[in-house]
Order: sequence, then structure tokens, then C-alpha cells
Amino acid sequence: MISQAERRDAAVRVQGLRKHYGAVHAVKEVDLTSKAGEVVALLGPNGAGKSTMVDMIVGLTKPDSGIVQVFGLPPRQAVLEGVIGAMLQEGALLDDATVIEMVGMVASLHKNPLPVREALRKAGIEDLARRRSTKLSTGQKQRVRFAVALVADPDLLLLDEPTAGMDVRRRREFWHSMQEFTASGRTVMFATHYLEEAEEFADRVVFLRDGSTVADGSVAQVRSLAAGRTLRATVSGVSEPAMRALPSVVNVEVRQDKVAVLSSDSDTTLRALLSRFQHARDVEVVGVGLDEAFLALTSRTRTGESELS
Amino acid sequence: MGSLLRLEIARTFRNPVSMVFLIGFPLALYLLWTKVLPVSAGTGITDFAAYSMVSMATYGSLGGALFIGGAIALERTGGWLRQLAVTPLPGHGYVVAKLVAGMLGVLPSIVAVLAAGAALGGVRLAGTTWVVLVPLIWLGVLPFAALGVALGYSLAGQSANMAMIVVYFGLSVLGGLWVPVEALPDGLRAVAEYSPAYQAGSLGWRALDGLAPTGTAVAVLAGWTLLFCALAVWRYRRAL
Repeated sequence: MISQAERRDAAVRVQGLRKHYGAVHAVKEVDLTSKAGEVVALLGPNGAGKSTMVDMIVGLTKPDSGIVQVFGLPPRQAVLEGVIGAMLQEGALLDDATVIEMVGMVASLHKNPLPVREALRKAGIEDLARRRSTKLSTGQKQRVRFAVALVADPDLLLLDEPTAGMDVRRRREFWHSMQEFTASGRTVMFATHYLEEAEEFADRVVFLRDGSTVADGSVAQVRSLAAGRTLRATVSGVSEPAMRALPSVVNVEVRQDKVAVLSSDSDTTLRALLSRFQHARDVEVVGVGLDEAFLALTSRTRTGESELS
Repeated sequence: MGSLLRLEIARTFRNPVSMVFLIGFPLALYLLWTKVLPVSAGTGITDFAAYSMVSMATYGSLGGALFIGGAIALERTGGWLRQLAVTPLPGHGYVVAKLVAGMLGVLPSIVAVLAAGAALGGVRLAGTTWVVLVPLIWLGVLPFAALGVALGYSLAGQSANMAMIVVYFGLSVLGGLWVPVEALPDGLRAVAEYSPAYQAGSLGWRALDGLAPTGTAVAVLAGWTLLFCALAVWRYRRAL
């Protein structure tokens, strides 16, 4: 348990974090500080470095360099103190054990656990207590793993793709049971590649791509990013760098004379485009959804770099 | 840690596959060797029913010890160890619980084959001999628990089980647990004497005649135990 004074500290403090596997830089120089009580989404495509980040924050993976602290403690210490509850992507259950056996066993490893029944109730699986994991659906298994994370009564919950393999309804139910936890002012950090999850359930969204933070802001800021527009025009003799040099440009695509520019402020970009390229024609301005903004920010995989999840 | 150990023990004794494989199979082989096939001919062993009883008890428990590693490999590749790694369980807690529960699970296969020897094989021994046989056979298979752990932390999922079956049958045959080493070709026989399964068996075989383990047996078993433990510790550290 964490004292009130410590609770005011950063929940997670990550500084200059780096990790590489062979030639692949899974995480390169990430800085991230989350306040206690915040719900942070780590958003990015596969291979962005989300899982590596989560593994380093829970102390499963040792960073090459940089600092990780959870409520001022090194990760392993935080796990020992029961400060962290984690639901990892490849964490599994035992086929031949019942739900209550597994959750109960993990509970008794902790100094101040939740009562097992309460953890099951919070995860919405009270009725599955005596069931063996071979008899559980994917969504139910995820909930059991959620109960395993909750039973530590942690101050920080770390969830790596917690709703993977769930359908839309199950995902909603899952996040509903999560809200009870966050309502008590505790901190949650979750990795996801579902944009709507990040948008709906996080206070703050951190975009990761190729192991670096490409955007970090409140959900409102992310929404304003999504309020961006795409400008299309035909400009003869155009070059990509010239397009990128325009103000408020987020992303550029050039195909022969045709350009598509994603802009966070289309008015400014359009004025500059028209004054610099007076021969531009067929100008068109269309709104983009959050999905496109997200794709533009995260999906450019540079050639020569392999993906790593 | 006590709670993990309790769960592991419960799992060991409720696993029907391993109970059949490690009790049923040695029992069936015992009856085959002593009741059906004339294996005893030409080995010069006087009380073959007792000899084979010790062989099969050693064979069954050897498998139980070795396959501790099979469970480790499955749970390691399946992700259960990752789950445990984010709890306050100390790093060695898992492997210790596995070893203790697994070695307890070995006892039923020893007792079952000894019981079959008495009830069906007509084996008659002094009371003290029955009593010392159980711990002797049990101690004899300890090196295989270490070998199992080493394999469990080296190989993934099903390939670990395949490798263990090969090691299990190979060492059992070489060690004269299936067919007495006296029936093996001379070259193999010389090797067999230094193999862990043969020396594990020798503890019980000698006890039948009221003899203490030989110095060679103790030295060979201790040597293999140390080697397999070193291997297990090395693989365990690498796997973390």
C-alpha cells in the first residue's frame, strides 16, 4: 500500500527509456510521466513498442538504459509491495485449475490482497469461480486475468491489450467493470490498438510508433487532431519536402502531380498552399476521422525496420 | 509460496494423464515381464518377480521426476510464468513448488508397483526391506527431476515432451529397467553401469538382498545430480 504522500508522486515515471532486441529498436528514448489517478492509453500499431514498454514498467524486461519508477519505486519493488497489478498480453491461465484456485493463490502471495470473492465480483466473474479455465471463453479468460491483476488491490493497473479477442459487447462490459476501479482514483495504463478504446476510456493518449512517442496529449487534444482535414490538389512539379514545409501539416502523400495533405488547421495550410503554388488546381478540402489521423500518425513503417510486437 | 505449493500438489494428483502414464504403464509392463514374456530366462536372476518389481517402480517414478520438466515447458511457453512474474512470488518459488509437488507425485507410482509385486507377483520380502525400498527408489530418481527442470527451461511446449519421452525411454532401456543389463551386449553394459537409471535401480536391487548401495552407485548418482542441477540452474537463469 502506498501512503498519501507517495500517492501524490508520479504514478509512472519513465525517462530516456531504451530497449533493443538485436538490430530492432523496440523502444527508443521514451519519456513519460503519468499522474496518480490518470487513465493513460498507450496507442499504436503492432510493433510500436507498447508491449515492451509495459514489460519494462512491470519489471519483466530490463531496459538497455533509462529509468522506470512506479510511485517512486523500481518496478520489481513495486510488484513486491503489491503496488502494481498487471494483465499481460501473453499471460496465461492453468488449464487444470479453477478460477477461484488461481485467483486465490495469487491473492495469498500478496500482503494486503482484496478478498477473493470481491476481486471476482469486480471482474464480473463471480459465477465462474468453480470453473476450470479449459471451460472458459476468450472473453471470460481475460476477465479472470483481470481478477488476478485486481486481487493485489494495486494502485496502478497495467493492461496490455486487455480486450484482445473480445467482441464489441464484451469489450464494453470489460471497460464497464474497469470504471469501478478508476472511480476510486487509482491509476490505469493500458496498451491498445483500438482507437475508440483510447478515446472513450482514457484521460490521456500517448501515441507510439516505431518505439518513439509521436504524440502525447489529452483526449481533447487527440480529438482536435482528428478535427484535421485533408487537402487535395493538383500541383504540377510538386515535391514532398515543399508540401511538408507548409504550415500545420501532419502528413503528406504525393502521387505524380496529385497531393494529399493532412492538416491540423486546413485554413492556414490552404492559404499558404495557394500563395506558394499559384498554379494549384482542383483544390478540395475534406474532413478526416480520428481513424485517419491515427493511421497517419502511426502506420508509416519505415523500410528496413522489422516489426516487433 | 505455501499457496502455490498447495495448488501444485492438488494439480499433480488430479492429472489423470500422468497418473495413468506413470502408474498404469509401469504396472502393465511389470505384469508383462513377469506373467507373460519369459524375460527372466538367461539373466541368472533368481527372484525375477522382485527384481522386476524394483525395476518398474524405478521406471515409473523416474518418469514422474523427469516430466516435472514437461509441465514447466508447457507453462513457460503458455505464459503462466509471465503471470507469476508480476506477483510477489520470489523468482525461485515456482521451480521449488514444482519440484516438491512433482516429487510427491512420484510416490504413488512406487507404492503401486510394490503393491502389485506383493499382491500379484508373489514377492515376499522382510518388512524392513519393503520400508527401505520406497525412500531408496525415491532418492534414486532425484537426478531426473533436475534433468527434467533443465529440459523444461530449454525446450518449448510439445518439443519438450518429445525430448523427454526419448530421454525417458532411452535412459530406462540403457539402465536395464526394462530388460536387465545382463541381457544387453557387453559394450552397452559397460556404459550402462555409469548411467543414472541403472544406478538408481541398483539401490533397490541391492536392497532386495539386504545390501547397502555401493560407493559407485552413490558416486555416479551424486555426479549426475550435480551435473543436471548445474544444467538446470544455467537454463533456468537464461530463461528468466
